[in-house]
Amino acid sequence: MRETSLATLLDKLPLQDGLTVSFHHHLRDGDAVMNMVLEALKERGLKDIHLSASALFPVHTAAAEAIREGRIKDVTTNYMNGPAASLVSKGYLAGGIVMQTHGGRARSLINKERPVDIAFLAASAIDRDGNATGSFGKNPFGSMGYAVEDAKHAAVTVIVTDTVLDKTLSEPEISAQDIDHHLVVAAIGDAKGIMSGTLEVTKDPVGKRIARDAVRLLDALGVFQDGVSFQSGAGGVSLAITEGFNRILEERKLTASFFSGGITRYHVEALEKGLVERLYDVQCFDDAAVESLAKNERHIAISASRYANPENTGRIIKDLDVVILGASQIDRDFNVNVTTDSYGKIIGGSGGHADTAEDAKLSVIVGPLFRGRTPLIADRVRTITTPGRDVDCLVTERGIAIHPSRKDLMEILCEKGFPFYSIEELQEISHRFTGRPVEAERKERIGYVESRHKEELDSLHKIKEE
Amino acid sequence: MARSYLFIPGNVPRMLTNADVFEADALIIDWEDAIHANEKDEARELTIAYLESHRPENTRVYVRINSDEELIAKDSEALKGKDVDGIVLPKASRATLSLYEKLFSDKEPFPVIALVETPAAFFELGEIAAHERVHALFLGGEDFRTAIGAERTENAEELLFARNMVVLAAKANDITAIDTPFTSLKEAGLEEDCRRGKALGFDAKSAIHPDQIASINRIFSPAKKEIREAKRILKRHEEEGSMRFSLDGKMVDRPIIERAKRLLEKARLYGMTDSEDDR
Amino acid sequence: MKKEIITGSLESSDCLIRVSPAEKLEIELETVVREGFYEHIKNLLEETAKAEGAKRVRITCKDQGALDYTIKARLQVALRKFKEEGHG
Repeated sequence: MRETSLATLLDKLPLQDGLTVSFHHHLRDGDAVMNMVLEALKERGLKDIHLSASALFPVHTAAAEAIREGRIKDVTTNYMNGPAASLVSKGYLAGGIVMQTHGGRARSLINKERPVDIAFLAASAIDRDGNATGSFGKNPFGSMGYAVEDAKHAAVTVIVTDTVLDKTLSEPEISAQDIDHHLVVAAIGDAKGIMSGTLEVTKDPVGKRIARDAVRLLDALGVFQDGVSFQSGAGGVSLAITEGFNRILEERKLTASFFSGGITRYHVEALEKGLVERLYDVQCFDDAAVESLAKNERHIAISASRYANPENTGRIIKDLDVVILGASQIDRDFNVNVTTDSYGKIIGGSGGHADTAEDAKLSVIVGPLFRGRTPLIADRVRTITTPGRDVDCLVTERGIAIHPSRKDLMEILCEKGFPFYSIEELQEISHRFTGRPVEAERKERIGYVESRHKEELDSLHKIKEE
Repeated sequence: MARSYLFIPGNVPRMLTNADVFEADALIIDWEDAIHANEKDEARELTIAYLESHRPENTRVYVRINSDEELIAKDSEALKGKDVDGIVLPKASRATLSLYEKLFSDKEPFPVIALVETPAAFFELGEIAAHERVHALFLGGEDFRTAIGAERTENAEELLFARNMVVLAAKANDITAIDTPFTSLKEAGLEEDCRRGKALGFDAKSAIHPDQIASINRIFSPAKKEIREAKRILKRHEEEGSMRFSLDGKMVDRPIIERAKRLLEKARLYGMTDSEDDR
Repeated sequence: MKKEIITGSLESSDCLIRVSPAEKLEIELETVVREGFYEHIKNLLEETAKAEGAKRVRITCKDQGALDYTIKARLQVALRKFKEEGHG
């Protein structure tokens, strides 16, 4: 059924208190769909909503408002920052917060662990047969990887779009058979907003040093070979490493087998230069990636389940050789926190962090030993996002540490005379600059971090109101 | 034997704190041009506090002091007994050197890197280079260019004569020659400018931004070919047990052997002796 | 005689110090690393002020994540200039 009025559509949907609604975050900070729907649900007076979103950004002010007013009771997400995250940290949810991973969310949707009543999924276009895509249209955002399992497993699936194509798509990402309703609106948001966060190679000379050393480390470990597979995020340092990685492939005339995860123009350049055979794209981080996905056959959109679901034996990242990941904190057991700051305030979340760290043969954490005066290395991270057993190396501007269980890596480095430290030594170096911070006390529990395998990894706690 | 000398403004905590991670062989903490007249006291205090608590271990540290008498006096007072490898003396001349001698009257005055940047200095260059405290000559191309009213050309032709003079005066006195920094922040042109300096005989180059260090270090390191050649010369020298022999039909004698030794020492210092086995 | 001396800046990893006359030693601190370092920085300011013999001054510090050496240097210069201006 195709509708043009959200109000008319809502009349047809099974609305009730305690409803679980889901959204994807492919439009990132340019999304208008979640706000639109939550405002309409407010008019209907719905209470105790369970918000299941693959991620929440600063643009999601209606979510923040619903949390403040107590209409949203529970939140399940993989990443959140902005006002909604801040209110959750301050304890505004009557229910709780569960922070999942991208792979874990796919698993839980498929297994109907937290069944979704209605999925409201932005698509940049639908075709005349009702199939949906993230390419083409007024606000193209590329891959719809995080929405695929919602469409298949929600009780009701609503596709929200602003473009209807007068043709049939050859490769729609969401098939008409998984869609119950189509809602055509004026705008699903602003596709320029997908370029939020750091999407340029870092200009910070400290970040550049970290990137150089990370590439040197990969080289010393013999990573650069034909067929290598690689993933890095969209942070400035990660992109500098991607750039260095590509440069070596080019100099040595090597071809990587695939790059996966979030895709940027740096990944697209490598594809177009023939430095990598395929891009497995679960989300596009810039317009170059969006354009490339629409035209390059070897640039392939994948679902979150194909990307990282631990119960999917065909998941892409099980073949990943190297992943580069960031950290807000790391501790002496190599546990990594990207969920909260050092004092417990939610500022992000795993996304694919814990998924790729577990699956990749080599997971490398990169970050400065201290930001301002806040040290990276703690005795114990405030919140475990990724367990230390899944982390192999830490690269900082003042030294590299190897997880004690990776004797094999240490041997290779010793043989090459490549210097490294213990993580305790690196912590000691950072404390010489910053001193040791006082640990903030943990107040009441507001929820937890869930591993991709559904275990509770760590608890989340309320922080003080400013 | 440093390859790169990186300027760090003396009053910016973020730059000072991280000065050790930019991979420069030597740092020049600047109290002169980078510091506004009413921030001189703050820069001195901050630099000294930094050096006392976080002086980098494996990097040489110099301070570029000021050039007028009143400020030099305060600079010398602040640096007394501090752990620095030397000072960079701006607008080096007979006059500024004697001012330096007067005001830095310690038992062991700091070694001086003489910043040659005024036209007049070129007429005293032999004397400056021969001064017992002067350990290096450093061409300040930017001020020099302005002082002589020259235009900036693509190949830095306007600096060629000055570069030749600085190298000659340094080498005649067996001291180090440091090339002027590349002052465009665009990356393009830096490598060429480094190569130009190295070809003219400079031992090292200064940098005004951390991003310039990687190129400078690479270009001012001994080349793989040079290392291989030096190793062959020394191997043959050991086999022959002589200071004079022929290799590939060319005569090798003492200066060539000494140069090969120096080159390998430099290569070893920068961890490059095995580099030809890589890749 | 200047009423107030200002040193440092609001750049990241720096701090802005203001020193002005007061009845006794007063220290006011605002810092971006409040949770981890408030007490530590407060003590550092107090010790530095005492070591410089500052008695009737009001010190305000707006800290942007500066390390100890920076905070100390900024305060020392401010207090010395304050003295040079003829304040007690």
